[in-house]
Order: sequence, then structure tokens, then C-alpha cells
Amino acid sequence: MSIATAIPRATRLAALVTFAALAPAAALAQKVAPITVVINQSPWFGGFAKVVEAYEKETGNKVNLDVNPFAGSAEKQRSSVRSKEGQFDLLVMNSTWLAEFYHGGFLVPLNEIDPAFKLDPQVIGYDDTAYWDPKTKTNSSKTGQVYGVPINGNIGVLYYRADLYEQAGLKVPTTWDELLANARKLHNPPNVYGMVLRGARSASDISYDWMPYLHSYGGAIFKDEKAGDFTVTLNSPQAKQAFDMYLELAKTAGPPNPGSYGQAQVIQALVTGKAAHGTPVIAAWSQMDDPTKSAVVGKMGVAVLPRGPGGQHAPTLGHFIGAIPKNIPKERQVAALTFLKWFQTYDAQLKYAQAGQPPIRKDVYAAADFGKKPEYRWMKAMVDSAPYPRMMYTVPEGAQIVSVIELRLNQAVIGERTSTDALNTAAAEIHEIMRKAGYKTGRLPDLK
Amino acid sequence: MVGSRAASLGMHTVLAVAALVVIFPVVWIGIAALKTQIALLRGDVFFTPVWTNFNELLFSRSSDYLRDFLNSLIVASISTALVMVVATLAAYSLHRLGWPRWVPAAVLLWSLVFHMLPPITMVGPWYVMFRGLGLDNTYTGLVAAHLALNLPIGIWLLSVFVREIPIELEEAARVDGCTTPQMLWRIVVPLVAPGLAATAVICFVFSWNEFAVALNLTAKQTATVPVAIARFAQEYEIKHGVMAAGAVLSAIPAVLLLLVAQRHIVKGLTAGAIR
Amino acid sequence: MAAPLRGVLAGDAARWRHYTLAPALAVFLALTLLPIANLLVMSVHDIRWEQGVAQWAFAGTRHFAALPGDQLFRDGLVNTALFAVCAVSAELVLGFVLALFASRVVRGRLFYRTAFLLPILIPGIVIGAIWKLAYNPDFGVINQLLGLVGLPGKDWLGEKTLAFASIVVVDIWHWTPFVFLLLLAGLESLPQDVHEAARIDGASAWQELRHVTLPMMWPAIAVTAVFRLIVSFKVFDEVYLLTGGGPGTATEVLSFTVYRRFFTEDRIGYGSAMSVVVLSLLTLLIVVSLAALRRQRDEA
Repeated sequence: MSIATAIPRATRLAALVTFAALAPAAALAQKVAPITVVINQSPWFGGFAKVVEAYEKETGNKVNLDVNPFAGSAEKQRSSVRSKEGQFDLLVMNSTWLAEFYHGGFLVPLNEIDPAFKLDPQVIGYDDTAYWDPKTKTNSSKTGQVYGVPINGNIGVLYYRADLYEQAGLKVPTTWDELLANARKLHNPPNVYGMVLRGARSASDISYDWMPYLHSYGGAIFKDEKAGDFTVTLNSPQAKQAFDMYLELAKTAGPPNPGSYGQAQVIQALVTGKAAHGTPVIAAWSQMDDPTKSAVVGKMGVAVLPRGPGGQHAPTLGHFIGAIPKNIPKERQVAALTFLKWFQTYDAQLKYAQAGQPPIRKDVYAAADFGKKPEYRWMKAMVDSAPYPRMMYTVPEGAQIVSVIELRLNQAVIGERTSTDALNTAAAEIHEIMRKAGYKTGRLPDLK
Repeated sequence: MVGSRAASLGMHTVLAVAALVVIFPVVWIGIAALKTQIALLRGDVFFTPVWTNFNELLFSRSSDYLRDFLNSLIVASISTALVMVVATLAAYSLHRLGWPRWVPAAVLLWSLVFHMLPPITMVGPWYVMFRGLGLDNTYTGLVAAHLALNLPIGIWLLSVFVREIPIELEEAARVDGCTTPQMLWRIVVPLVAPGLAATAVICFVFSWNEFAVALNLTAKQTATVPVAIARFAQEYEIKHGVMAAGAVLSAIPAVLLLLVAQRHIVKGLTAGAIR
Repeated sequence: MAAPLRGVLAGDAARWRHYTLAPALAVFLALTLLPIANLLVMSVHDIRWEQGVAQWAFAGTRHFAALPGDQLFRDGLVNTALFAVCAVSAELVLGFVLALFASRVVRGRLFYRTAFLLPILIPGIVIGAIWKLAYNPDFGVINQLLGLVGLPGKDWLGEKTLAFASIVVVDIWHWTPFVFLLLLAGLESLPQDVHEAARIDGASAWQELRHVTLPMMWPAIAVTAVFRLIVSFKVFDEVYLLTGGGPGTATEVLSFTVYRRFFTEDRIGYGSAMSVVVLSLLTLLIVVSLAALRRQRDEA
């Protein structure tokens, strides 16, 4: 045979041998086309990249990572799904634009690619956001199909100074009232603020920060989103209680200007030791024990967010779902699904957790190592929070709604409006938005 | 030339104070590049300098800064060169080659209107257009976009400088049998040299620092410096130190360009050329 | 003036006038026509996405009618206009003074030129992030410096008027170099013979400035002012990182509102209408300011 045919044949032979050797490890994944994953840079990206490396080594499949700044990620993904042929094969979407992509019909149900695919039962539910029912336009694991696999289970948690707690003999709070009491005790301006809140107005600060209060007091933006009833209940008595608690924390245990604290400033206050409590997301944990980033190494504790009296804990989701767009060739859809299948396995998630990132499987949290080691002490908070996370909104108009809430609540925090006025105004504006968009909506009478 | 020494001293004082005010934040950014994140967040005045920021910027897995730097260099240089050529030709044409009044007015007005649009509103149609031509994630696409974005200011500024060329000069040259290309090369370009240099620096800097369009028309292979730096302004952690390191390195080409451009500006050319 | 050189122009120039303008026209045709046309068309439509396909619904003037009722737009308009006027006038005055001095001194010109250029070399996102740190009431360098001289620190970004002023300061720091660079180039291109003639005639420095330099610099100043004004209307990075439009709506600027409506909320039709209105208002502002500047110059 000529060189020309010998070389391809030799390559094929080599490939066969290599494949045979790798077959046991790659039993779960077959050889597929290379894929491009679009994802944003973040503290947990390092962990994800390590997991991808392991996938490539184990299966020989190639994964390209297109890493973008968070600001602009939504636009890039939007451009790709709206064009005739998509640039990206696996979209890692943040909860803020998840609703938009579901409603817009850009994603392919995973069972269309592989009818046998199921989300592993150990994967945490995340308010059913991996499922979608196009008929009722809701996230429902009962009536919907699976569209994606969670990539990162980011939620809000309570960070507190465990060292100050020990000194003052305090117990970890389970209700907002207990938190208020603890925060007041530790409030010692200007050295330490009892509680720093994300009171700033931005794309998503105060609304994200306040949602757990609202939900855990039994309130909600809409009457029954899952059933399609979008009557605005933002100005209910429960909501007022929830907001008054928030304002009370700000006034009696907070810095003089809570209205200008965004998430970055809250984290700054925590790592510099200026704050005794704060509620940023778990993704900020990586900064707490790093001596180049924190002055309070080893002093931070993490717990599930408190709840209202008689209510349930309600951390808000800020997570990421990996889904596959319709506008790419079938072979790349198969390749992307192959990766997702591998990603949701116990081994993959164990690697993920060992890299310090919140795994998406319940059983990994229970793994032997983690409970004992102090660097994994954040895991208990995640386990405790697992049954409860809620989405802020599930409609494409979500960004508009958040815009309203951000403005009105921030105005109350800086003293421009009373809490009643803020809630009433916000409710009226949200009602307008939903009415114009054609939803079944109404609103409660104004609070007095 | 300036008159009394007091006046000269006065001017130097004002300039020096202004320079101090201007440079202080820049120096601060330079220092920030050497601080650990906690030192920056706490506002430490005394700190141990570290190289970790530059390390993370240049060598970590999550960053491709050197390639992004090269990309920016290519895109900014080429787009600036193109803007200068196209704008100079257009400015000379509009003001000195006998177009009826409405032509320069229309071109200038259109370019101004276009300049008023926020670049992000152009991303949509450009993305569709470039992707259709296979030009997304290419140098060509981004260079074309930057050419369009900076051409308005190029044409307007060059118009100012071209119109300062004395008419008599051109008439004299024409009488001597000078053709238009010769006119451009021998007379116009040397006379607008200071303006050319300033405009080139401005266009280069604008192209270099452009973010919105660059983010959407590029992917991993062609990403530019602002995109690279923005990756460190994350949702939960703004890595100020790394961003500062990126900014420090990013300023170098423009400073070099300015120094080179200065050498080609010879003051008083105008006074000499007429005689 | 636009039409000199009559007799000599026929032939050579007449030919070249087309060749030399063609590249610019080609760029405009290929790259600018589509976005502007697209914007105009979208501003009278509503665009929703269903099942992966865009649904266009004609909306007439509905978006334009909704603008006055949009509080963010109203506040954005006022803030942006105020911001533009304050920042740009300060930058013009400062930039001109610095350029004038820099062109007159003999030593250190290269140093000043390079030093004053530095702020515009820094990407907007870094400027926003670093100044945010500087303005931090607890840890920022500004309050630290004030503390050194015994003055109390302030909440630079937390109080409404102060936040606005803080953003203007950042803008002035960022953009005076732009004005400086262009006006310096303008000053250095001025023919020297007119200055010499004025001095020979015994004019004082001040008179020379008012009656010779300024009128000759008028085109450069006007163009710099116009472009500076336009760019200040597009101010985005700094506001985004420093205040996000707050506290309340104290620093809500138009480009920010447009970004939020157009991109974050994905209301393309409405966002386009807003852009069109902003564009028209900006054109009006420019025409009015140029007319005012021209009247001032003619009176001088």
C-alpha cells in the first residue's frame, strides 16, 4: 500500500487501540464532535475548567471554552441563538436570562436528542429550572421536559463572623428576628457594622437581596406564578413585614449608607472585617479564606438564610443551567449532551466539589471528606439550603420587573419613600408591565 | 517668545499642578497592580508588592492576555491607519476639490448622526451582517467596525486641519502644475502633520479601548484587551489588582505611539512653507 | 470656504474629487446605512421571540408615546443634559488653558503632552472600578487623604448631589486630555505670521488671545466641543461601575437607560425608539450650542 493509505490506516489502528484502552473509563461517554461551551468568567470557573480537563482526558472529546465577562454574556448568547446557525453548542445560562431563553423557544428538549436521557435523581431540583413545559410556559418537572443540567448551584447564604459569635456567645440565627438581635449586639460602628445589606440599585442588588425576606415571610411578587396567575401581590401585608424587617436591619445595624452597597461592597466589607453579617452568594466564599483576598481568614461561618416567623427558608437562585440551542447541527447537539451526561455523574461532581465549587448532586455533599475539613465548612449551609431555593421570576418580563423593584426599594432605603409607598408604587408599575404584556393579572388594593 | 519670566513661571506652575492631579490616579492604578486584593480593598498605604496580579493576567488558565494584546495591536493599528487614509482623502476632497456646498455638509452631518448612536445599538445588525459574510470572530470584521466607528471623528478633525491650509499655497502649487496626488503628498500631509498625529492617537486609543462591539464580534481567538480586562470584573469579585495590571500593560502601545507621533510634528512648518 | 481654484480645477481635480471621496462613502454605505435603517424600523415595531423565531408586530408611535411616562427616561434626560453641559464646559476651559500654556512653554512640552494623555489610555471599565475604590467611604484613598489633613470623609457616591458631582469629576479627569490633545494640535497648526503681526502692532497677551488666537481656534474648539458633547451623551462605563444610576435616579444617564431597556430588558422596539429620540435631542442641542458659540465669536 502507498504511504497515503498507510498513514490513515495506522492512525485508525492507533485510535482503535487507544479507544480500547480508554473504553472502561469512557464507558459513559462515546467519541463525539468537539463542542464550544459559552460561559462567563467567575470564581467557580476555575473548578469548571478543571472538570472539563478531566472530561477531555477521560473521553478524548474536545471542549472549547469561550469565556466572557459576565456583563455582556447574555447579549452574546442571545446573538448566537437568534442567528441562523449558532456559534455555541452548550449555553451556560444564568438564572436571570433563563426565562427569556425558555420563552423564546431557543432551546432543544434533551429527550429530542436522546429519548433515554434523564436527569439523575441525585441532582438538586433548583426549583425545577431544568424543566420546561412550553404549553403552560412554566418550569415543571411534572408536566415539562428536561432541557438542561444545572452547572452551578449558586444561591444566597448567610455569612457571619464565627469568631465574634464565639466571643459574644451567640447562636446561629434561624429567623430574621434572631439575626436582627445578633446583628444589633455585634454592631459597633465605625469598626464593625452589624449587618451590611445590598441596598444599592443596579441590574440586580437590592431585589436579589430582599427576595429571601419576601418569600420567607409568605409573600411573593405574584399570586401563583406556577399556575399562571400573575396578580401582583408585592404590596401585601406580608411583603410589608418583610420589607420593614429589611429596613430595620439597615437602620439599626447597618452602615450609614446602605443604599450604596452593591454585592462587591458587601463582600469588601466582609473580607476586610468591617461587617459581622452579610448575605452575598455562596460563590463569594472563595474569597473568604484566601489570605491574599481576606483579612478574616478562618473566621467566617456560613449558614442557610434565615426565615420569617412560621415561614420557610427561601434563598434565591443565582445559579447556572447548561442547555443546548436548537440552531446547531445534530452531531454537535449529541456531543454537548454527552458532556452534560458526564457532568452529572458522581465522579465528575466529586472533582467539582474538591475544587471548592458547590456540586449539583446531593450525594456528593454527604461524601466522607467534606464534613470534617474546615475548608469545606460552607457545604453544610448548602445542604441545609438544598430543599428551598426559589427563582426570582420565571417570565421574560423579569428584567423589567426587577428594574422597578430595584428603583423603588432603593428609594425607600435612602429615605426618599416610605416602605408602604415604595411597595405600592412598585406593585402598580409591575401590574402595568404585566397588563401590557398580556398576562392574566390584577393587583391588591394599596396598603395603608 | 513668551514675555516675562513671571508669566512663564506661572504657566509652569499651573501645568505642574494639573499634571500632578492627572497623574496621581494613574500612578495609583500602577500601584494597585502590585497590591494583593485585600491590601487594595483595605486601602493599605504600606504593603508588600506582589507580582501575582501580573501572573494571573499573563499566565493563568483563565486569561489569554498576550494573545488579546496582540489582537488589539493588530486591530487598532490597522483600523487607525485606514481611518487616517480614508479621512484625509475625504477631508481634502470635501473642502478643496470643488464639491457643491451641500456635499460636504451632507457627509459631515451623516457622519455626526452616526457617531451619536451608542455602539451597542449597532451590534445587532453588524453581528448578523458579519456572521452572514463569515466575518465574525475575524480581524477583518472588527477592523471594519472600528473603521466605521472612528471615521466620523477622523473626517471632522481632518476637516479642521485641512481648512487651515492657506489657499494661496495650493494655488501656487497648481500653477506650478501640481497634480492632486502630488498636492496631497507634498503639501497637504506635511502641513496637517500635527493634526494627523493627534487624530491618529485619538483613533488608536478609541479603537484600543472599544468594548461593546469588540465583545460581540469576537470570540476567544480575536478577543481584545478591554474584553480581557472585563473578564476580571466578575459578578461577585472585581479583581481590581489584575484589572490594574491589565490597564498598565494596555497603556504602553499608545504611549509609544504618542512619542513616535511627536517626533513627526515640527512646529512652525506652516510659517516656513509659504515663503 | 469650499469652492476655490476655479480654472485649475477642471480635469485633474474633477477626476480626483470622486476617487478621494469614494472610500469614505463606501464605508458609510456598507456599514452605517444598515444599523441606522434598522434602528428606525425597529423603533416602530414590537419584537418578540417565539419558538426560536422573531415575531415582528407593528407598533406605530406607541413606543414614542410611552417615553414621557418613563421616569428613568425623564430623569435620564435631565441628568445627561446637565452632566454633558457641566462636564464638557469644564473640560473645554481646562483643556484650552492647559493646551495654551503647554504650547507656550519651552521646556517640558513632551512631558506634559504625555502626562496629560494618560487618562484616556485607560479602559473605561478600569477607570470605573478604580475610582469606585477611591470613593469608598471606609477605605477609599480620597477619604484617607482628607483624614490626613483633618477633614471628615464623605459618602461620595451615596448622597444624591454628591454622587452626581463625583461622576462629573471622574469624567473631567478622564476626558480633559482629549480636549487638551486636540486643542494643542490646533494651536500648533496656527500660522505664526498673524501672531507676529499682532505683537508688532503692540497688542497685549490678553488681546492677542481674544482677537487672534481664539477666533482662529474656533473651528478646532467647535469640533472638539461637539464631539466631546456627543461622547458625553454616551457615557456608560463610569456610571455603570460607580453608581449603577443611583442613589435613586440621581446618576441615571440616558445611555444607561437605553442599555437597560434595550438589552437587559430585551425591549428592542422601545429601546430603539428611545435611541432615536435621544439622537434627535442631541442634534438639537448641538445645533443650538454651535449657534450660541458662533454668536459669541462674532461678537468678540
